[in-house]
Amino acid sequence: MRDTIRREIEEVFRNVFGDQELVLQESMTAADVDGWDSLAHINLIIALEKRLGVRFATAEISRLKEDGQTVGSLLDLVEQKKRA
Amino acid sequence: MSPTKDLADLTERFLSVGHAQSPQVFAALMKGFQATMSAGCYADTAFFLRRIALPTLDYTSAQALSRVRSRLRSKIPASPQTARLAVIGSSTTTQLVPLIDFFLFAAGVDADFYEGGYGLFRQEILDPASELYQFAPKVIFLATGWRDLANRPALADARLDIVRLITAEQADWSSLWQVARERSGCQIIQNNFVLPACRALANHERRQAGSLSSYISSINESLAQAVPPFVTIHDVEHLATCWGRWKWDDPRFVHQAKLPCAPECLPDYAHSVASIVAAQLGLAKKCLVLDLDNTLWGGVVGDDGLGGIRLGQTDPEGEAYRAFQHYAKSLRHRGVLLAVCSKNNEETAREVFEKHSEMVLRLEDIACFKANWEDKATNLCRIAQELNIGTNSLVFVDDSPAERALVRKLLPEVAVPELPTDVADYIQALDRHRYFQTLSVETEDLRRTEYYRAEVSRRDAQTSASDIEGFLASLNMVAQIGPIMPDTLNRSVQLIQRSNQFNLTTRRRTAAELLAFLEDESWITRTVSLSDRFGDNGIISVILARAREDALEIDTWVMSCRVLKRTVEQFVLNHLYGLARQRGLKRIRGEFIPTAKNKLVRDHYANLGFAPVAGAQGERTLWDLTVADDSLQTTTYIREETNA
Repeated sequence: MRDTIRREIEEVFRNVFGDQELVLQESMTAADVDGWDSLAHINLIIALEKRLGVRFATAEISRLKEDGQTVGSLLDLVEQKKRA
Repeated sequence: MSPTKDLADLTERFLSVGHAQSPQVFAALMKGFQATMSAGCYADTAFFLRRIALPTLDYTSAQALSRVRSRLRSKIPASPQTARLAVIGSSTTTQLVPLIDFFLFAAGVDADFYEGGYGLFRQEILDPASELYQFAPKVIFLATGWRDLANRPALADARLDIVRLITAEQADWSSLWQVARERSGCQIIQNNFVLPACRALANHERRQAGSLSSYISSINESLAQAVPPFVTIHDVEHLATCWGRWKWDDPRFVHQAKLPCAPECLPDYAHSVASIVAAQLGLAKKCLVLDLDNTLWGGVVGDDGLGGIRLGQTDPEGEAYRAFQHYAKSLRHRGVLLAVCSKNNEETAREVFEKHSEMVLRLEDIACFKANWEDKATNLCRIAQELNIGTNSLVFVDDSPAERALVRKLLPEVAVPELPTDVADYIQALDRHRYFQTLSVETEDLRRTEYYRAEVSRRDAQTSASDIEGFLASLNMVAQIGPIMPDTLNRSVQLIQRSNQFNLTTRRRTAAELLAFLEDESWITRTVSLSDRFGDNGIISVILARAREDALEIDTWVMSCRVLKRTVEQFVLNHLYGLARQRGLKRIRGEFIPTAKNKLVRDHYANLGFAPVAGAQGERTLWDLTVADDSLQTTTYIREETNA
């Protein structure tokens, strides 16, 4: 399941950041992805919700852009939501 | 296969999946755009990007497409239509502006934007040295929300106090608009205010004048009634209603990013704003061209016969066709021209209009009727020609995907909306495009089809007349000419925006600019209205001229093509000559700026006896006519009516 989600998220990242070659690693942070600013973060959340059929709470949206958050943390959160 | 051919297929596939846009189809489409960009096929990229710019796009797709647009910006030739738009307000504009830009691009407009600081719109307007004014906008969009209302009632306030608050609120906004216009001479687009979904007073909300909903409704009403000509109220409240108020609001993104509405609604919002800006530039469509079989009624009249087609109260689908006809008729009532373009025998097709009791549309609603067996692209060109409008002013509605594809291919400038398979969805499919966006409704709009039908009678008379002079004399033409007045301002602006062929300089002067000219003694503004024995044509020409040094310089001269070759030009020239003489001016200076559409008037000034002036830049030409002591008597068959 985690791998399927990872692939779907990767596709969303590619569309949002306009980079079809982008490859996601779980250790990546916002600093590792070109253009991941606060505007792109909002676009990313909106696209993820639509693609994955999940809904992020206000606090989760804020937490995901804090320091120390990685692509892995995003995967954890989505996986948790999908399982619920 | 070439990247362009690929992109063409991907575009069609994306459009045909409609609302169920799948992520795979969209990802493939984006790769298609990337391929044409990498191959340097920029014009093709732009073409398909325009095709796909629909108000129903979801947020993520629209943002991705708008990024393709911004990468294209430096790669394709500049469009002759430009806009300078300042977006200032109390929500973030970062997501909105690229989408407005994308939809303006789709309408053929290159726009430059200024985004104001978040929530600083009042300061920016009031401070004469603000960045807003340094940007020199042509249009300011005030993207405000109800939290910006400065005067809010308490729930228990008496009605009279609330009326005072409404007056104060109206005065606040009016003075902001006035200051902005005085400092920048620009048009203003002002959001009205969206009613919140939640109601403290539940069902009683509307009955209590001091409730938030009641107050906002009153303000909206007051703004709509008191709006000056240089302001357009953007009815964002209607958008919210159409989406559903709970859907319109996504408080997470208000708290998180101060978005003005839920992300999914943003493309539609941006499209709505862009359609107003495009209409200000004269890009709104003018004529709805309708197919007949399976578009206006169910079935094929040639096969099924008059009694066999599905239309009207006998079955639900027949009802739906009737509803669609009612919709078309409501457009015609407000000034959109209707035309028919159908593969049918003409008599068979006309018979339905004349004899079927359930027909809502009648022959007198149709300004141009083409039912024959020639291809539809040819017929569309004929319709445009007969109505004296450009093919880019047409919207073509046909249930057949093959006909739509043919027209898109042969006449890419014609708007051809996808039509759903269920007739019950036709109205929404068409209406959401906002093809016929309008900034005002004038007498001329309400009577437009009449004008065109009178024109047919005139043509018949012309055919029977033996010589043109005799024909013109027999029309008994009478004109009124005078300065633009408060009640003719909107129509003047409209004519300046809509005229493409008889337009000497194609300067799209706005209401704000006209108001400034009216206050300036060096400017002369004139409207001409014309009537004859077949009927009244309403206001058909606008002239703006300025006295500078010893010359009367004609800045703008537009005329409705309905009255071509009726000696209106000669009549106007005699009048301008008289004005120049009165003011002691020595010459009249004419100017012609060529565009793709105004070849018609290339020799306008030469024909009127002007002499070319050397030294004009580029393709623009300048012309002079010397003003002598006696009045000019160019031959005209139009008599001036003096009492207005």
